[in-house]
Amino acid sequence: MIVKVKGYFTKPTFSINLYMEATPNPLPADTVEPIIITDSISYRKPQPLDVLRGIGILFGLMVSVWLFAGFSNGRQFGIINKATGFDYRLYSTVSVLFDGKMRALIGLVFGAGLLLYMAKSELSKTLPAADFYIRRQMWLMAFGLLNAMYFLWPNDMLFQLGAMGILVFPFLRLSPKKLMLAATICLLIFCGKNYWRFADDKGVYKKYLAVTVVEKKFAKDSADRHIKDSLAKIANPAKPAGIKDSTQTSASKDSLAKAKKDTLTKEQADHKAAWEGLVKNLVFDPKNDEGEKNEVRETSYGKLWDHMLNMTQGREAAWTYRTGVWELGMSILLGMALLKMGFFAFSYRRGQYFMLAIIAIGIGLFFGWFRLYFHNSALRGYEKYITHKWVPHTQFIAIERLSMALGYAALVMWLLQANLLRFFTKGFAAVGRIALTNYLLQSIFLSWFFTGAGSGNFGKLNQWQMYFFVLLVMLMQIVLSVFWLRRYQQGPAEWLWRCAIAKKWLPFKTPHAIAPPGDIASTPA
Amino acid sequence: METSITPAENSQPLAPETATVATAAPVAKADRIHTVDMIRGFALLGILLMNIPIFGLDESAFSQILKGSSENADFKALGFIHIFPDGTMRGLFSMLFGVGMVLFTLNKTSKPDGPTVAEYYYRRLLWLVLFGVFNAYILLWEGDILFYYGLAGMLLYPFRKSSPKLLIGLGILCFAINMYKTMGWFGDTKKTRKTYLEAKAAIAEKKPLTEAQQGAMGRWEEIEKSQTPDTARSKRNIRKMHSGYGTIFSYFIPDNANNEIWGMYHGIWDFIGMMLIGMGLFWMGFFSNKLATSTYGMLALVGYIVGITIGWLAFINGQVEWVRHFSTYIDNWRVPHFLLYDVRRVFISVGHASLLMLLYRSGLVNWLMRALANVGQMAFTNYLMQSIICTWFFFGYGFDYYNKLRFYQLYYVVLAIWIFQMIFSSIWLRFFRFGPFEWVWRSLTYWKKQPMRLKKIV
Repeated sequence: MIVKVKGYFTKPTFSINLYMEATPNPLPADTVEPIIITDSISYRKPQPLDVLRGIGILFGLMVSVWLFAGFSNGRQFGIINKATGFDYRLYSTVSVLFDGKMRALIGLVFGAGLLLYMAKSELSKTLPAADFYIRRQMWLMAFGLLNAMYFLWPNDMLFQLGAMGILVFPFLRLSPKKLMLAATICLLIFCGKNYWRFADDKGVYKKYLAVTVVEKKFAKDSADRHIKDSLAKIANPAKPAGIKDSTQTSASKDSLAKAKKDTLTKEQADHKAAWEGLVKNLVFDPKNDEGEKNEVRETSYGKLWDHMLNMTQGREAAWTYRTGVWELGMSILLGMALLKMGFFAFSYRRGQYFMLAIIAIGIGLFFGWFRLYFHNSALRGYEKYITHKWVPHTQFIAIERLSMALGYAALVMWLLQANLLRFFTKGFAAVGRIALTNYLLQSIFLSWFFTGAGSGNFGKLNQWQMYFFVLLVMLMQIVLSVFWLRRYQQGPAEWLWRCAIAKKWLPFKTPHAIAPPGDIASTPA
Repeated sequence: METSITPAENSQPLAPETATVATAAPVAKADRIHTVDMIRGFALLGILLMNIPIFGLDESAFSQILKGSSENADFKALGFIHIFPDGTMRGLFSMLFGVGMVLFTLNKTSKPDGPTVAEYYYRRLLWLVLFGVFNAYILLWEGDILFYYGLAGMLLYPFRKSSPKLLIGLGILCFAINMYKTMGWFGDTKKTRKTYLEAKAAIAEKKPLTEAQQGAMGRWEEIEKSQTPDTARSKRNIRKMHSGYGTIFSYFIPDNANNEIWGMYHGIWDFIGMMLIGMGLFWMGFFSNKLATSTYGMLALVGYIVGITIGWLAFINGQVEWVRHFSTYIDNWRVPHFLLYDVRRVFISVGHASLLMLLYRSGLVNWLMRALANVGQMAFTNYLMQSIICTWFFFGYGFDYYNKLRFYQLYYVVLAIWIFQMIFSSIWLRFFRFGPFEWVWRSLTYWKKQPMRLKKIV
């Protein structure tokens, strides 16, 4: 079935195959033609967006497991501080390859999926496309709340993806160039915010320094007084009683008066405490982890719910406001631009994908190294770091993450175009096709495995055990997804999502052909 | 918030089906805009009643007044504000925002291939979010609501054609969520207090404390401390507010960020609830002057009686006791008075609107109604103008009146601003089609300079 869709794709000219078959762009570059959606679903070929989504969700678990399993920031800081040994090599590899990169990758795919969903919704005669689109996003937010609050996964990203989809709705029609510009603005703000945080730390340090100067003066004064008083005693040995010595009494009065002023004001004490707290947070203290361990190993679901709620709300409110909007924004907008440029429809040559992969991953690795190196020196002495270094170790994480994710996407496009590693790409594509189900399953299974309500393994695994466990989960999900998709077209969560959007119960088993317009949620998270 | 297009002309209360066909007769159109704009103008001016103390006074003023004599003029003024208008103007404003949303989305036909109505709607809201950020961070109004209106509006779109029943039901659900959250918080506080008292008893009997008791001791002391005015903080605050723009700008950054974080996640139900109810009432014809005079009369009477009763009890038994005897209040009340905050708001807001409608129909104060409609027609400009005027009047870089007036004296300033805004709006609209900020907002939304000057009628 070939359908012409007006609207969102008119500007850049390319033909896009909804399910991304490997067909090069047949249109000349300068004719303005509406996009053609070919809806002949081919399940033989793994589709790029599915593969990437699958990779994002599965490898994202390598980092998510830190929080699930209780591999706390403190423990990570301890490892970075040491900077040698097996644990460090393992940590730095996972951190450079996956931390934040998988979120960015999911963002890229999600952004591209938004456009495809919109294009597909335009086919519907029952409702304006925007209604499907907004409903889909709002239900995704609801899934996110469910996942975070009830499946006990505070770092859920469905909620934010849902919200971001709504925020970028006015951007859907922009040209790739403008989308790139918007993505760059998000990236710069993200970078800027990391710098401002560092500048704030510098401010705290400055105030602390001012307090130490005052303290030094106090110490000196009290020493001086001590000397002065002793000298006075030597110079004027005790006079017979009754004779008044004006000099001595006034001197001792004077020193007494000063002694009263020798304590810091509340404001000064606060300034001192602020910096000391900052530094203390950078040092690994096993005691800090104990409290968290007890809380998460708690066996009552109600108490766990209470405990996680704080984290969830912090993530959904503060993190989203301060970081999430920019971090997800940059990748979603870039994903939209890439889709419009035909990036996911093999519009580029194999060599181009390969070159892009090498360069982008190279940039990502460089900034990853930079981050770990600078983080190490920050942890070794933050006072020294803050006085000598211009930027925080987090300065370029925006570039690191986005560039790495772009590189991975290019690499996968290259693999698919070159028809390499078919076995793997097919497996990931299966996971990606029922991504929402898989994502929710991860939370259910890992919460069960680690919290006290389930088998209570929180804080019991060391690093390699954690990753081994994750690899097992990944394998399990691939196998499950492949077998599931042999029998069904969609995952249960995707089905529920579609029903919610369509406001009616849809048949679970849909025929192989295109789902009727109105029942579409073709590209989930 | 400008509403240049109105739904179908129909002598019956508007029904969702009829409104999709936009064939508005010009006379009736002017009529309808008038009532919506008039109420919006009223709400816009009224909102300053609650905002002015935040512009002009350190927050310690509230507890000082409430702890002081109830014969004091300040106490009376504060009592009046809390019992009657507090929260209701924002409520009315939110309701009309919902109405504006319906008017905007249902009465524009999109050109084929061009951006759809939905896209313009979301662009408009995204700009509103940015205007909110501008209002909070640049104009330095920490009580900004535009930011939340922009975000809340984004969730309304799927409900634009829903039935009044569903809309009002969802609105009530939003307030139920608010209540649930309030009860959760109050319940926690009560529990902490109870454990604290147990710990005290245990200490008196020289028993060892359990871990929970130790935790509760610290937590309760913190809660109590948070309820007592912090003089050092107030002093610092007042000192900062008397300084230049740069100092206040950076002083406000963390507060603004925290406000917006809390507001967009926890506080948003306040706005969404009222917007949904407003949309529901609109479909019933409430805001478009479609109900019978007796209905408006009943609504005004019931709204005010129920609302003011709740407000009275919540102020005298609730708020005042809370401030004067905090721990006894926590001990004595199983449910806090402010649980009914939103209920009161809905009743009084509906009361205000009904009363205005009656006044409008009576034709007694036509000049005032016209003035209010003018203010409402450029509500966006007037809202931002309140920020500009008040920050300049009170803050250190302007006339520096921060914390220098008494509470009741603030309302002289309010009166002056009201008169100014009514006159300004009336004059402005003689020459221009929109208020200046409306024009900027519109031009940004359509990404094209909009015509501004009013064509001379020949």
